Amino acid sequence: MPTTEPHEQFIEVAGAKIHLLKGGQGKPLVVLHSVDGNLGWRSYHRQLAQQFTVYAPTLPGFGLSQRPPWLETFPDLARFSLWLLQELDLPQVSLLGHFIGGWLAVEMAVMCPQILDRLILVDAAGIQPQQGEITDIFLHGQEGTRKLMYFDSQQVSEYQELFGRKPTLEEREIQAQNQENAIRYCWKPYMYDRSLPWLLPRLRVPTLIIWGREDQIAPLECGELYRQAIPGSRLEVIERCGHCPQLEKPEEFSRLVQEFSLKT
Amino acid sequence: MFLMRFTERAYVAYSAEDVQNSFRNAVRLTFSNSHFNPALGADLYNEYLDEYEYSDEIGFDGMMLNEHHNTPTCMGAAMNLEAAILARTTKRGKIILLGNPLPIFDNPVRLAEELAEIDMISRGRLVSGFVRGTGIESWATNTNPAHNRERFQEAHDLVIKTWTTPGPFRWEGKHYQFRVVNPFERPLQKPHPPIWIPGVGSPETIVWCAHHHYPYVYLETDPQVTLDLMSIYAKAAREVGYEPGPQNFGYLVRIHVQDTDEKAYEVGEGFLVGNAGVGRVPLPGDFMAPPGYNSREATKKLLDQYRHSLRPDPLYGGVDAAGWEKVVESNRVIIGNPDTVVKKVRQMLTALRPGILGVWTNDGTISHKDTMRCLQLMEKEVLPALKEMGKELNLPGPFEQAP
Repeated sequence: MPTTEPHEQFIEVAGAKIHLLKGGQGKPLVVLHSVDGNLGWRSYHRQLAQQFTVYAPTLPGFGLSQRPPWLETFPDLARFSLWLLQELDLPQVSLLGHFIGGWLAVEMAVMCPQILDRLILVDAAGIQPQQGEITDIFLHGQEGTRKLMYFDSQQVSEYQELFGRKPTLEEREIQAQNQENAIRYCWKPYMYDRSLPWLLPRLRVPTLIIWGREDQIAPLECGELYRQAIPGSRLEVIERCGHCPQLEKPEEFSRLVQEFSLKT
Repeated sequence: MFLMRFTERAYVAYSAEDVQNSFRNAVRLTFSNSHFNPALGADLYNEYLDEYEYSDEIGFDGMMLNEHHNTPTCMGAAMNLEAAILARTTKRGKIILLGNPLPIFDNPVRLAEELAEIDMISRGRLVSGFVRGTGIESWATNTNPAHNRERFQEAHDLVIKTWTTPGPFRWEGKHYQFRVVNPFERPLQKPHPPIWIPGVGSPETIVWCAHHHYPYVYLETDPQVTLDLMSIYAKAAREVGYEPGPQNFGYLVRIHVQDTDEKAYEVGEGFLVGNAGVGRVPLPGDFMAPPGYNSREATKKLLDQYRHSLRPDPLYGGVDAAGWEKVVESNRVIIGNPDTVVKKVRQMLTALRPGILGVWTNDGTISHKDTMRCLQLMEKEVLPALKEMGKELNLPGPFEQAP
């Protein structure tokens, strides 16, 4: 049984030091985090690490990762992240991303589809809904957004560990830095790229789209739009689940990913 | 000493309950404009302009205007329009814009043109202040707060170059790019209209002002804290080789005069209505300063450098939050009959020694009638005394001595 615990390391990309957690064994799976930054090695990472070598980098400007001064936009972030894969010596890789991490995975995929083995999008930003709106999490503020995150926070087994205590000064500083850079990259247009729907048909890789039925941040409509635009993709909706299936329903989430990887 | 008169031009016809019902209970940004009545707005704009014109007639040296967005607390959403009207309808006083929020302008060249027109129409009476704006201005105009300071500095440099360098020239900056910068109309004042910067004490901005020889106008900051902040300016000025004086400093304070102290106390409390009285504070902190709005590294560095000399504001939360009695006791708002006010202002001037005094005469529910009475009393009994006091205390303004 391979260890599913991670090693922490730093890797230099474009002169910037990038923080990374890596664990498990198998084909490489890169997990891209959302606006809250890298929340560490969670139970879903451990479950995925039974089947994959999981890479969980901290995106530039978040947490312990540096942001090169030129990196200002979402396309910059995608180009930088492709360079990160190159430095990690990952010529063929599966990408899994949550919300802005999902958007990032899609941008990387349409820029450089040949590197992709599989694509897994989780309540992903990046596509503009036609009926509803992606909730403005910046306007709601951190506290207001957290209330919208989960269908039922009691279902989040790691909630206390993640959010159950007052953050230290250092943690607050990192939160502020994460928010600042999420705003830097995603302020306008807010959480979508108008070109993406026209570029997604280019993708030919097996794609799984996972969505919490009760997501109050990224409407399920976005998942439907992704499914319609990416040829051969599949949408799996998790019931009684909000914006973060990987935290709120980690077992169901991991099972979907594992089954998808075995079948495709 | 330079005496300028100010009001935020408030709109107060709404209730505290209305504010409580707005998104995140905020009186700015998300408070619905369905609460605005344009017919009342028409009256108010005209009254406010009347008051400025009168203040010019009675001897104020300048008319100070400001700009905010998505808020009933200040109707000056397009301050340059008011300035343009006053440029034509008044003949004497300076038109002091404190200030245009540079980061929210996508076209600073157009701003340079507007200001040049105001300068010419007023025959060289424009003082062009610039600000970063509160975070509300970033939200309201969808300007990325992470770029606020960079855009402030680049837009400033572009406006100054537009005013001072013969065109055409090309501008290829980080946030602004223009093929042909060549607005035909240039300002009357040379090399350009004076620039003053107002604020509540960002050390980074204060240092930047000192390096540019721009007077910094402290917006009703605590007097002790103001002295601390002045020392930051002075140190930065000495670093670039000059000794600042009163001409480098301004101070804005609410001053309201009525015939008696009692009447002034009663009327003056209206300053707080439309502010704390209907829920102006607390505003969500991330509305006023969204993440990225303040440069964390620069602020930390400066605070580390100056922390030992910065005292906390005893009226934490600002004048609006402290309560009327406490505010009056501490002289953070100066009210009274003419004699009382002159005495209190003397204490303040002696302590702070500003060369620019911003007199914030009215706001909130203080009526137009009470405001006009305040201005009448100021004409006869306050302004002459303050002008004498400026000479006696040797407080030259920026037009008497170059900053």
